[in-house]
Amino acid sequence: MKKAALVLGAALVAAGCSSYARTEKAQTQISFGSVVARRGLWREAAFRFEKAIEKEPNNARAHNNLAVALEAGGEFAKALAEYKRALELDPNDTYIRRNYARFAEFYTSYTRTTGKATGGS
Amino acid sequence: MARNVRRGSGRLVRVIALALVCALAALPSFAGVAQVKLKLPLKPRLPLRGNERIALAPFVIATEAEKARDKRLQNVDLQAEFQRFLKKQIEKKTKLEIVSVPPELKLPTQNLSELGRSTEFWRALGAQTGAEILVSGSLEFRVEDRSGYKTEEYVSPIDSRTYYRQVYVEQTGFLFDIVFLVFDGRSGEKILQDEFKDFRQTGGRRADELQGLFENLFSLENQILNLFVARDRDAERYLFTD
Repeated sequence: MKKAALVLGAALVAAGCSSYARTEKAQTQISFGSVVARRGLWREAAFRFEKAIEKEPNNARAHNNLAVALEAGGEFAKALAEYKRALELDPNDTYIRRNYARFAEFYTSYTRTTGKATGGS
Repeated sequence: MARNVRRGSGRLVRVIALALVCALAALPSFAGVAQVKLKLPLKPRLPLRGNERIALAPFVIATEAEKARDKRLQNVDLQAEFQRFLKKQIEKKTKLEIVSVPPELKLPTQNLSELGRSTEFWRALGAQTGAEILVSGSLEFRVEDRSGYKTEEYVSPIDSRTYYRQVYVEQTGFLFDIVFLVFDGRSGEKILQDEFKDFRQTGGRRADELQGLFENLFSLENQILNLFVARDRDAERYLFTD
């Protein structure tokens, strides 16, 4: 039993160390951003995804996530630009394509009511 | 014997621990996508301050002529039911002030396009009631017997093969179509025209008409209110987790 606890403890320490070592990586920022996003902390999530883009400007996943975070925060014009960038970088990704299609449908009706593109830019 | 049991449980603990270690090690490599829910704002379709005086004029009933033939439509006073529903929703969910229209008010025409162009009539009504916004339009409510034969798949208990058979299904459909015409009470000009449709289908041939009507209305409630006030809309998006 003690042995098992020791092994488990060591594994947790190892996992913690490995994630600490990768805090500078875009992937870590995306991962953390997605955790806070799912808790509704969209500003923090957007900050994390922006950091990921700083590290890897051509990361389509980071652009997609940033677009979702911006959309959640009501910054629709910026979200549109990020969705477009994500799709440009990875045009075959099903999830990015679906997100963009759903957003486009919403954004069209949203701008139709105001007659102009609004929201955040 | 007792020693064997202890040894066995020790092995089990070690296996579980190993599985946990493997799971932890594998965590960062899970290619993850999570679905998240967003609440997106829908701006009101009409550019309003929010506290305007609004008058609900009668609507043209598109199915009025069919009432004499269809007994089920005779049971529903569409004009009264819809006006009551709309008044209640506006009072409950907006800050608009409803002003009443003269009870004997008659629309100048039963033609929707002409009604939209009756600027003089709407300007006069606006002046008479003091309303800044005037609402009218047309209503269509149909009860359709959708009963009929439908193809059904079934697996035979004798030879376990799949067969197709025709079964008679009794169903009633409720179709509701609203066209909203919104006018400026001062100028009498039409400022918005929008149409909402809903179709509901229920089991049984003798489904209640009034119940069907309200099923339609409740499903259109958000869209109708969005004419006057901002509403929320649920949306789902994909988020990459690594």
